[in-house]
Amino acid sequence: MSPQDDLPELNGLALEPDDLNGHTVEELSAYLDADRTPPDPSIDESPGCQLALQAMQRLRGLSAALAEADAEAEEKSARDEGWISRILGAIAVDARAGRRIPIAHPDPMADLGITEGAVRGIIRAAEDEIDGVIIGRCRFTGDVTVPDEPIGIVVDASVLWGTSLPTIADALRTAIRRRLAAHTDLNVQAVDVTIHDIHQLPAEEEPS
Amino acid sequence: MAGEHHRRPVETADDRIVAGRAADGDADAFRVLILRYGPLMRGYARRILNSSDEVDDVVQDAFITAWQQLPNLERPEAVRSWLMRIVAHKAIGRLRARRPQLDITEIEPPAPETASPQRITEQRSQLEELSAALGELPEAQRQCWVLREVAGYSYDDIAGELDIPLSTVRGLLARARKYLIVRMEAWR
Repeated sequence: MSPQDDLPELNGLALEPDDLNGHTVEELSAYLDADRTPPDPSIDESPGCQLALQAMQRLRGLSAALAEADAEAEEKSARDEGWISRILGAIAVDARAGRRIPIAHPDPMADLGITEGAVRGIIRAAEDEIDGVIIGRCRFTGDVTVPDEPIGIVVDASVLWGTSLPTIADALRTAIRRRLAAHTDLNVQAVDVTIHDIHQLPAEEEPS
Repeated sequence: MAGEHHRRPVETADDRIVAGRAADGDADAFRVLILRYGPLMRGYARRILNSSDEVDDVVQDAFITAWQQLPNLERPEAVRSWLMRIVAHKAIGRLRARRPQLDITEIEPPAPETASPQRITEQRSQLEELSAALGELPEAQRQCWVLREVAGYSYDDIAGELDIPLSTVRGLLARARKYLIVRMEAWR
């Protein structure tokens, strides 16, 4: 006797090809994965298949709920400061320093420079000047390691809901240019700001 | 625009901004990613490992790899599924270290228990029941199922991750689904 033989009668649900108009569970899963397209009458018009599909759908909904419940159950452990500190302690922040960008000095013997990572930090800090802006990834075009090379800056930004996008983008461009002029010798030709997300302030009562 | 500013903490930004900053070396943004996806990754690792052992280590390891690889992430807005893949890979690697050969010929679990009155009176929630049912699956079936249904892997990706033929993945998934459907329907 195969294990399937002693299964209970499940409101007519049975999962052998004889019960599924010749189809297999595997085929029905694939059909469900494909959002039941293209329509297959031999499945759609078979009561056995419909029962099985409904059961699969229920299982799917339950699976999604289980993943959520699993995550919820982990909230406490995942917020454990000890655990987070171990991760943050193990990552090498220095590894992001990137290329060395030269800075000119009147004394030809002097060898000054700033890292790419530090320049990105300077660019990100420009957000402090403008209400409701968060800067994301920042990229350079052109070779920053060559003095006087024309350089482009491309930044991602997110702004607060309700602010004027052109005004914010202009202000951000100006702030980034000014900061780079003050701290680097980069020959900045263009600052492109891509605003792609409009975020909302967090609810006040939410603990951070 | 000096003076009073709205608070605009990085944790209010979307994944593209947060992962983009982390890729650029902002450890605070990386911390936001840990808080945002740590619970999901831990729950997922626990399902794959089918135990509490090593969840801390596996997910920690996944985050360290993520930090190293973030600059290569083309689409920071897709960081969630990218992190899920890293943690799946780490968890499966850990299982493989325990037992190098994934046994795809494991004996089937016994037929699911029927919905006896005693069982119904236990009043376990459906989620607990599914959780228990998953734990009963042979390891290869469980791994395929979790990769497919929780992480959204394609059949091809599962075959690659587990290093087994595509036809085997299909068969394992079909058996896992059959078992779980019957088990869950019996309980209804």
